Amino acid sequence: MTVSNKVLTKKDISDMAYRSVFLQASFNYERMQAGGWTVAMLPALEKIYKDDKEGLAAAMTDNMQFINTHPTLVPFLMTLLLSLEENGSDRTLIKGIKVGLFGPLAGIGDAIFWFTVLPIMAGISSSFALEGNVLGPIIFFAVYVGIFIMRFPLARAGYELGTTALDSLRESSKKLSRAATILGTTVIGALAAAYVHITLLPTIELNDGITISIQEAFIDKIFPNLLPLAYVFTMFYFIRVRKVSPTVLILVTIVLTIVLSFLGIL
Amino acid sequence: MQITLVQGILLALACIVIGVDYWLEAFFIFRPIIVASITGLILGDLKLGLVAGGLTELAFAGLTPAGGTQPPNPILAGVMTVVIAHTTNTSPALAIGLALPFSILMQYVILFFYSSFSMFMARADHYAENADAKALTQLNYLTTAIVAVSYGVIVFLSAYAAQDLLKSLIDILPIWFIHGLEIAGGILPAVGFAMLLNVMLKLQYIPFFIVGFFLITYLPIANLLPVAVVGLGLGMYDYFFVKSDDEKAKGGVQNDGI
Repeated sequence: MTVSNKVLTKKDISDMAYRSVFLQASFNYERMQAGGWTVAMLPALEKIYKDDKEGLAAAMTDNMQFINTHPTLVPFLMTLLLSLEENGSDRTLIKGIKVGLFGPLAGIGDAIFWFTVLPIMAGISSSFALEGNVLGPIIFFAVYVGIFIMRFPLARAGYELGTTALDSLRESSKKLSRAATILGTTVIGALAAAYVHITLLPTIELNDGITISIQEAFIDKIFPNLLPLAYVFTMFYFIRVRKVSPTVLILVTIVLTIVLSFLGIL
Repeated sequence: MQITLVQGILLALACIVIGVDYWLEAFFIFRPIIVASITGLILGDLKLGLVAGGLTELAFAGLTPAGGTQPPNPILAGVMTVVIAHTTNTSPALAIGLALPFSILMQYVILFFYSSFSMFMARADHYAENADAKALTQLNYLTTAIVAVSYGVIVFLSAYAAQDLLKSLIDILPIWFIHGLEIAGGILPAVGFAMLLNVMLKLQYIPFFIVGFFLITYLPIANLLPVAVVGLGLGMYDYFFVKSDDEKAKGGVQNDGI
């Protein structure tokens, strides 16, 4: 028994923007976001399946399947699937589209928000905060409120899109991910140069009593930031090739700096 | 300076809200730059909160839950960096290192929740089969409430109850140890940036890293915005003018490293 009439109002769709915050409410390793995802969808699903308890149970059971996608972009996927539910589409199709899209959405969301926006905002807002300027956290917060508000147009877009342009969506999400990765990589290069500080303390005593600093006389003349660059890529090597956990690397870094401080090298 | 009972309670209440925000990844008030500023406000030393927030934010810039690993907890890092600097009169750069054990403790608490909440899923399936919307919603409130309460309790114990212990600890630390921790504050961002690179960097992206790195190294640029604009230009060029692998070779599988 399916329902084919449009029952969701504009308000139902824009409500999905804030209902989508439930996404990670019961996050766990087995199903990841499935529980919160289903709860976010519930009011709309209940409206679609009104008296059809079996249909609602089937939809809820499908929604409880594993999902892991990006919280900011998820309203798009939620309303897209709701438009299919509303049209009484085949459950297999709905499941297929959900499984096919949550991964790419997670990829594009991580590329844009975690690996591009966050490093840029961290760099800009910290440069204010370090001067004691309260604009730092205020700018940061304002940008993330703006990002949250994006959930509303995303919810509308998903519902309107239906299934019409899924292939082009997949294609452009790849290109968008790549462009975001380029922006992100450029900024990370800048962050590494701006915010990793390693200065060698040892000096060399010349025979007439003049001392020169190894850092200033050699490293800064040839390649300033050589040591930060080397350290970032040493860490990169341990994470990528040796699969060392970042927590271990943080602890090793602290122990190392304490030892080098004791020896008078840093 | 001491942290009063009222301040301890305010910190706990603030972190209950902030903890839920981190759990849901909604407004990003869980980032150290916000957490430390709020902590500074509560302790009556906003300036300290801002500086500590800037330093801790940079140290945690690459430590994101994306890419598969739960990082050391940014909320406890933000709160405890300010609390330790405030109660022991130490510099924020040093306090970051001393706050780290609290941050790692909370990281493992969250990992414990990730594992143990799996046990709720069988019950969630049962609710779904019976179309019991109310029970499923309550289950999700319950898990979120468990996370919220644990933030409140852990922050209260760490910030208020442990302060005398921390103070006596700082007194017995030798200078070279403290200097080492301060330097660590300036090097730790390297781990975060390496984590970002781990997720993003393939060989063909290295030119862009070089552009960003050398712009900052050799030009007197005050903040990152100009470099971000250059990166945006490069990204747009790629988007509009460079064909994707799919367009070049139809059917070719693209692994874009994300």
